[in-house]
Amino acid sequence: MISNDQAGDVAAYAASVRAALSDLASDQAEVLLEDLEDHLREIAADAGGPLGERLGPPEQYAQELRAAYGAAQAGSPPQKPAFRDVRRVVTGVAGSAWYRELRAFLPQLRPAWWVLRAYLLVLVVTAAFSPGYNLRPIPNPFSKRGLLEIFVAVIAIVVSVRFGRRNQPLPKAGRLLAIAGNVAIALLALPVLGSMGTFPSFAMVESGSPVPSSYAQGEVTNVFPFSKDGKPLTDVLLYDQEGRPLTRDKLPDRTTDYPIGADGQPITNAYPLNQRRLDGTPVLQPRVAIPPWPAATAAASPTASPSPSPTR
Amino acid sequence: MSQAEVDTTQLLKGVLDLAVLAVLADADSYGYDVVRRLRENGLDHVGDASVYGTLRRLYQAGALNSYVVPSDEGPHRKYYGLNNRGRKALDQSSQTWASLSKALNHLLNGRSNGHDK
Repeated sequence: MISNDQAGDVAAYAASVRAALSDLASDQAEVLLEDLEDHLREIAADAGGPLGERLGPPEQYAQELRAAYGAAQAGSPPQKPAFRDVRRVVTGVAGSAWYRELRAFLPQLRPAWWVLRAYLLVLVVTAAFSPGYNLRPIPNPFSKRGLLEIFVAVIAIVVSVRFGRRNQPLPKAGRLLAIAGNVAIALLALPVLGSMGTFPSFAMVESGSPVPSSYAQGEVTNVFPFSKDGKPLTDVLLYDQEGRPLTRDKLPDRTTDYPIGADGQPITNAYPLNQRRLDGTPVLQPRVAIPPWPAATAAASPTASPSPSPTR
Repeated sequence: MSQAEVDTTQLLKGVLDLAVLAVLADADSYGYDVVRRLRENGLDHVGDASVYGTLRRLYQAGALNSYVVPSDEGPHRKYYGLNNRGRKALDQSSQTWASLSKALNHLLNGRSNGHDK
């Protein structure tokens, strides 16, 4: 007779051997393994001590069994090598300790899914009934609309969790329906979550660099200010929103003569810049088209002294 | 495993069928008892799994009968015995073995006695 400990040892050892041979065709495995437990019990009863000590690791035992039985040639149709490799990988993963731990761990996350699916369902419904509405991951609780969303979400979560913790099992049709529902929520939520990620884009504004070195039409090498009645202005001092002078980096194909201030320093933000090409010819003012100004404003201040009137 | 043990295991693989058939020709037996009797007869390195696997294969191939004997102080024992097919297989294999071992002995003796042949 063997002890309970030994019986457990036998069961565990046999299970590991079976797992290592799980790639055999089932009828073949059945013929090979049908007496395995009895056989191991016999050894345990006779030998005492853990089976692993006497027989070596179960995986090795399984390999030996496989070789002795000639598993490859007997019975089952030969598997294609690629397929056999895949099965070996699958068996390896399924038999590994971390996979078993993962399988044991995942069911603990069920309640999290119950909460998540309720949240996602409300999100999907909201998106379906209000196209164009700016969905947020968490609705704004200070808006009527957001408050309603949160309220509905809480109710949905309560219902979802109660449904998840139900005591009596669903009938088969109901269970299939529940699975389909879960999958549907997960799938429908994907595009909604995807659309939620698209916020109005912000243009990246480079700070610190002076005159924007380029815009849509190409590089900015100079700035030519005009008054609204089309007169070119000279020595206009430009500053950015921080009050920093807008300056232009040195250009490779031209030189710039800056006016020298009373303190002896060059004034680098007086536009248009006085530029010469490398051969000495001055860079000329371009021809520009001045937009026709609204008559009333033009009449009001034809020679306006600096006024804060908006020019946009 | 030492080199000698590896050699023995490799050599045994080829003749394990014959050894198991021979043990069963002596008397019907169950798996663990076959292992024990093989070891008692000097095949110390015979693997338990190899014997079990061989028994199942020979049974599957139709060379063995099997019957279950209830046991009071342990699991039921599945006994194996030779049927006609098994006996025929044993005869053939033992003849093959005899000629093979004769040839091999001849070779080995020739080597140890020098090249006087």
